[in-house]
Amino acid sequence: MLGGKGFFCAALLLVSTGAFAQSADDIRDGKVCATCHADAVQIWGGKHGTKADSRTPIAIVGCATCHGDPSEHLKSYSNPMPHRFSKMAATEKNDVCQSCHQGRERMHWSGSTHERNDVSCSSCHKLHTAHDRVRDKLTQPEVCFACHKVQRAEINRPSRHPIREGLVTCSDCHNPHGSVGRAMVLRDSVNDTCYSCHMEKRGPFVRTHQPVQEDCANCHNPHGTTAPNLLKMRQPMLCQQCHEPTSHRGNVASLTGTSTGANTLGRGCLNCHTNIHGSNNPADLSNERTFRR
Amino acid sequence: MNRLGTFKLSGIAIALAAAFGPARAVEPIMTQNVEPAAPAALNTGASTASVGIGYANDDGRRFGQYNGINEKGAYGLIDFNWVKRNDESGTWTRFFGRDVGLDDRQLRFEQQRQGNWGYSIDYSRIPRFEPFIANTAVGGIGTSNLVIPTTLTPGGPTELKTKREAIGLGLEKYFAGNWDVQVKFRNEQKDGTRIFARGTTGTGPAGSFGQFEFAPEPIDATTRQLEAKVNYNGGALLLTGGYYGTMYNNNFDSGLNFTGGLAGLSTFTPIGLPPDNQSHQLYVSGNYTFTPTTRSNFKLAYGKITQDAQFIVPPTAGLPNQLDGRIETKLAQFGVTSRPIPKLTLYGDVRVEDRDDKTPVRDYFTLTQSSTSNGDNEPRSIKTTGAKAEANYALPDGFRIIGGVGWEEKKRNISAIRVVSARETTDETTWRVELRRPMAETLVGSVALMHSDRGGSPFQTTVQTSGAVGSNLIAPVFLADRVRDKVRVSANWAPANALNIQFYADKARDEYSGRDGSNLGPRTGEATNWSLDASYTFNDRWQANAWYSRNDTHFDQSTCEAATSAGVCPASATDPIWGATMRNLSNNVGAGLHAKPTAQIDLGAELTYAEITDQNHLQTIAGGPILGSLPDSHTKTTRLNLYARYALQKNSGVRLDYIYDRFKTDDWTWASWTFADGTTLTENPTQRVNFLGVSYYYKFQ
Repeated sequence: MLGGKGFFCAALLLVSTGAFAQSADDIRDGKVCATCHADAVQIWGGKHGTKADSRTPIAIVGCATCHGDPSEHLKSYSNPMPHRFSKMAATEKNDVCQSCHQGRERMHWSGSTHERNDVSCSSCHKLHTAHDRVRDKLTQPEVCFACHKVQRAEINRPSRHPIREGLVTCSDCHNPHGSVGRAMVLRDSVNDTCYSCHMEKRGPFVRTHQPVQEDCANCHNPHGTTAPNLLKMRQPMLCQQCHEPTSHRGNVASLTGTSTGANTLGRGCLNCHTNIHGSNNPADLSNERTFRR
Repeated sequence: MNRLGTFKLSGIAIALAAAFGPARAVEPIMTQNVEPAAPAALNTGASTASVGIGYANDDGRRFGQYNGINEKGAYGLIDFNWVKRNDESGTWTRFFGRDVGLDDRQLRFEQQRQGNWGYSIDYSRIPRFEPFIANTAVGGIGTSNLVIPTTLTPGGPTELKTKREAIGLGLEKYFAGNWDVQVKFRNEQKDGTRIFARGTTGTGPAGSFGQFEFAPEPIDATTRQLEAKVNYNGGALLLTGGYYGTMYNNNFDSGLNFTGGLAGLSTFTPIGLPPDNQSHQLYVSGNYTFTPTTRSNFKLAYGKITQDAQFIVPPTAGLPNQLDGRIETKLAQFGVTSRPIPKLTLYGDVRVEDRDDKTPVRDYFTLTQSSTSNGDNEPRSIKTTGAKAEANYALPDGFRIIGGVGWEEKKRNISAIRVVSARETTDETTWRVELRRPMAETLVGSVALMHSDRGGSPFQTTVQTSGAVGSNLIAPVFLADRVRDKVRVSANWAPANALNIQFYADKARDEYSGRDGSNLGPRTGEATNWSLDASYTFNDRWQANAWYSRNDTHFDQSTCEAATSAGVCPASATDPIWGATMRNLSNNVGAGLHAKPTAQIDLGAELTYAEITDQNHLQTIAGGPILGSLPDSHTKTTRLNLYARYALQKNSGVRLDYIYDRFKTDDWTWASWTFADGTTLTENPTQRVNFLGVSYYYKFQ
C-alpha cells in the first residue's frame, strides 16, 4: 500500500495548492477523478470501497492509493499518473496489488508459472466494474481462455466437465496464484486435486493399478476428449501403450468379432476389467488382480 | 500427450480479451447479470433479479447433459443476486441464486464484516444425464442387487443419471496482530447410476459380442472435505498452517450382487464397489521476503490416507477382514526468486514428495494362483524429487531472454510378479530458452524452444509366478525413455486502438524408445496447435470478435497379436505385429458481437462451432494381411446464442434469449454393441435444440 498517513498528508497538501483545489474527501472518494473517469469509480461499489475497513484504498487516499500521487496529473491532464497501469510492467503492477494482497491463497505467487510469464493481477482481474468476470464461475473460463486456447477448444469435446455450464470452473482445479503442484493444480498434486471430487478412485485398494496411483493424467485429459470418460484415446490402444501383448492384450482393434470387437466397442477393455481404478475385492478365485471383480 | 509449459501472456492482449472475451460475447441465458459465488466479488452495483420462462422445442440430451434441459418442454428461469453493504459497519450481506429453476441450481447466502468476520452457506447441484439411453431388461437398476436376463432379452428405455448435491459452509475471522482463521466444510451427496459392466472371455448368445453383461453401478456416496487454516501476515513473513481432511463413505459398500445372467459369469458376483476411505493432512506454507527483490516460499506437509472398509467377501482364511490400507505422504518445497540487478531475475525451486504406501502385504490368493500373480496385494509407493532454475534477462527494446532447466525424478516400488514392464526410476530433464517481448505499444510476443529427455533405471525383467521369464516387449508410455521437443510462438498485435489480433502456435514431438530389442510399444507422438483471435471495437456501442483454433495430435504405437507368455510374437498370418496411428483433429471457430444501439437496448450474439475427427489407422507391420482401419468418427457441435435486452425503466426491463444447439456424431462406440443380456445403448446421432427464453429483470438500486 502506498503512503499511509504520510501520503495522505501529501494529498491534503496538493489539493489545496493544485489547479483543481478540492477537499480531501473529494479526492479520496474519487469525485475529482470521476470528472473524467466516470466508470472507474464503480470500484467503490466493491470491497475496495468499504470505508469501514481501514485497509481499503477508499479508507486511505482513494484512487491515489494504487495510482500514486495525482498532483502533477491534476495540474495538467497530459501528465500521466505515476502508476499508469496500462504502461507498467507486470511486476510493477503486481507490486502495487501485492502491497495489500499477499499470503493466503497467493502464498506461492512468487515463482509461479503465471508470475514468470509476465501475468499481472490486472491481466485477469477487472477492478473498476461491478462484475469481475474471473470471480464468476461461469465467466471465469473466458478470461483463462484468452491465453489457454487449446483448452478453449477442448471443453467443447463430447466428453467433458460441465465447464460450459459454469458448474466446474478453472479455479476448481487450478490455483492461478500459484501452488506446489504441477500445472498449478489446486492441491499438492494432480491426483490429490482429482480426488477432491473423485475420492472413490483413491483407494488404497487390494488391487491397485500403477498408472492410476501415479497420475490420473496418464490416461485422462480433464479438459475434454473425444473418447468417453475423458480418456486420451480409445481402447484398446490406450491400454496397449503399457501392456505386454501376451494372451489377448495385443489383440487388434476391430468393430467386429466377439474376441476383437470386445476390446474396442462399448467399454472397450473395461467390458471385463470393470474396476480399472482399483478393486478392494479380495476374492480367492482367479484373475482378481485384473480388476474384473 | 502432455504439453510442456504454458504460453506467454500479454497484458495488453489479456486486458482486451478480458474486456471482450473471445469465447463468449453473450451472457448465457441462465446467468443474467448475476454475480460470482466468491465472496470477494461483492459489489453493490450488482443486485439483480430475473424471472422468466424458457422453452426447448426438442429433446437434446447433449444440450441438457449438465443443466437438465434435455427434454422438450418449458423451464423456469430464475436468477438473483442481492448485495447490500452497510457503510457504517462495512458489513456485506448477499443472497445469490443461479439457475434456480433448473436442475443445476446454485444458492449462496453470505454475510461478512469486511476485515473482521464472515460466514457463508451454499448449496449446489450438479446433475449429469447420461447422453446414451440404455435399452435394457436388467432389473434392480439403482440398487446393489441386479437381476440379469439369462438370454438376449429386449428391454425398455432406461435413463441413467447422477446428481451431486453439496452443502458448503465457510467461516473466517480476523484477529489483532495480523492473524486470521479460515474454515471451509463441504458435504456432497452423490446419487444415481452409471454405465458399468461385467464380463469374461467366451462366446455369448447369438447377437451379442460375448459374455458381457450390462451392470449399471448404483451410486449413493457421501464425500466430505474440511479445511481449517490459520494465516499470519508479519510483513516480511507470511505463514499459513492448516488441516485438510477428506472422507468418502459409500452406502453401497457390500458390493454389486448379481442374480441370473450367463453361467460363465456366475463367479463374478459380488463385484467390488469403491470402499470408504479417508485422508488427513497437516501443512504449513509460507513466504519470506529477504529484501524487496528477493522472496522465497515454502510448503511442508504431512498426510495420511487410510482405508479400512470391510471386505465384501471373506479373504483367505486367517487374514483380517479389511485391507488396513495406509499411505503416508510427505511434501517439502522451497522456492526463491531474486532480482540481483534490475535487468536480471533468477528463480529456483526444489520439491520432494514422498508417497509411502505402508499397506501390509498379504497373500490373498493362497488357494489359487495365476501365472501372473502370486496373490499379494501391491502397495504403490512413489517418491518424486524435482528442481527448477530459470534466469530472465532484459535486453534492449523491451526484449527479454529466458533460459531455464527443470529436472524431476520418480522412484517407485515394483512388485516381484508382473505382466507389465516396470522400472524403478525415471528421470527427466527439460531445457527451455525463450525470447519474449512482454511490453510494447503494438506488438508483443514470444518464441520458446523446449527440449526434454526422459530416461531412468534399467527395466526389470518381468517374471511370472513360476519363475519363468515373462514378456518384456513394451516400455509403458509413462515410463519409457522419451525425447520431447517443442516450439511455441505467440504474438499480440494491436495495429490500431480498435483492433487487436492474437496468434498462438505450438508444435511438439515425442520420440519413444522401447524395451531393448523390441520395436513395440509407443513410438512417436506429435501435437500441433494454432489459433488466431481478433477483436474489433467499432465504437463504444458496437464490438465484435472472432477466433479460429486448430488442434492436431498424432500418436504412433505398435504391438503384436497373441504373444507367448515369454514374449515371443508369432508375427504370423493370424497373429501379426501391427501398428496403430491415432489422430485427433479439431477445427474450432467462434464469433461474437455485442451492441448497444440505443440506451434502452442491448444486443448480443455468440457462435461456437467445433468439428472433431478421430482417426484410428491400423496397419500390419509383420505377419498377417493388412488390417482394416477403424472407421473415422466425426463430431460436430454448433452453439448459437442470441440475446436482446430492452430496458423498460432505468432499473428494469425484459430480456429475450435464443439458443440453437446442434450435436452431430457418427461415433461408433456403442452403435453396434449388444450386451449378452440384450442391452443396447443408443443416442440420437443428430440432436438439434432451439431454446427460447423470455424474462423480466429488475436491478436493485
